[in-house]
Amino acid sequence: MFAQGPPIFTDSPILLGLDGGGIRTFGKYSSKEKRSTFIQVVAVPYNLTSDLQIGIVQPFVIQFSGKKKNNIGLGNITFFVKHLVYKFDGIGKTFRNVLKFKQSITYSNNNVGAGFNVSHLEFVTGYITTKFGLYSSVGYVYVPDGLPDKLSYSLSFGYPLLPQKYPPYQINLFGEFTGEHTFTLKNELIFISTGIQFITASTFLIETGLQIPLINKINTLKYTALLGIRYLIF
Amino acid sequence: MKKITYIGFILLFIFFSNNNAQTDIGKNQKIKIEVEGLSCPFCAYGLEKKLKKLDNIKNMEIDFKKGIVFLTIQDSKKISDEQLKQAVINSGFTPKKIIRD
Repeated sequence: MFAQGPPIFTDSPILLGLDGGGIRTFGKYSSKEKRSTFIQVVAVPYNLTSDLQIGIVQPFVIQFSGKKKNNIGLGNITFFVKHLVYKFDGIGKTFRNVLKFKQSITYSNNNVGAGFNVSHLEFVTGYITTKFGLYSSVGYVYVPDGLPDKLSYSLSFGYPLLPQKYPPYQINLFGEFTGEHTFTLKNELIFISTGIQFITASTFLIETGLQIPLINKINTLKYTALLGIRYLIF
Repeated sequence: MKKITYIGFILLFIFFSNNNAQTDIGKNQKIKIEVEGLSCPFCAYGLEKKLKKLDNIKNMEIDFKKGIVFLTIQDSKKISDEQLKQAVINSGFTPKKIIRD
């Protein structure tokens, strides 16, 4: 008898019920050929109803510039809305579809943010059973100012290692693919990632993951390492 | 004589405590709720939280495999099936049968 938690690099269609909410924070170190970055992200979702969630994501960014002075500041702030559009529940399993809209807003006079606002409409699907979890997403990223738009996609498989009990004590393994296709440039960027998640209480988990590029034509990214926690408050 | 009086008081105390406890147990009712969609620990927490907001819930256990929530309620008359179903729906799951002992 098993159960497992939300994927690490991919989104989940599971909302946490009316008035439910929590906090997720993780540190993400990305190694690049020229300039590496560390991003500490804080995300706070809140459920207005059992099928409607709003949330805010604020990253704090440090760009390491070698011998030069590091750039430090707030990255783009993101607001999001998730709406459960389809749900099919069975004993110990569920299939759900969520429509998610994200809007990131750049701070003016900020040298660590994206420098432009980005809109992202995403369709998130998940088939989650007590024995495994299968998650996927596909989305369209609108980038203004004449920059090319993107198609985003992801696929994740989660597998729990320990027998289930509640309150839980669980270790989950994740294998994930995430990628984006940039229109106009016809560039493909695909990451493969692996992660492990420890659920130590019904409201707390700690997770770590490593993401490396599988197909990487023009990006200089070598790898991304993640360490984070999730805590349910409400 | 004092010792006998003390022992008498202790025995009386034990007798009445036990008697009250039995009365309480008698009032407790057990309810089984069949819930569909329970597939992760955080999901179960959402359900637990919603059900515990209802009055008179004394104890709760969740069996993922069978999709059953076991509730012990102090006075079952005060929680209707409709309230229980609504709590399950509010936590994002699908309620099925409610069985009262």
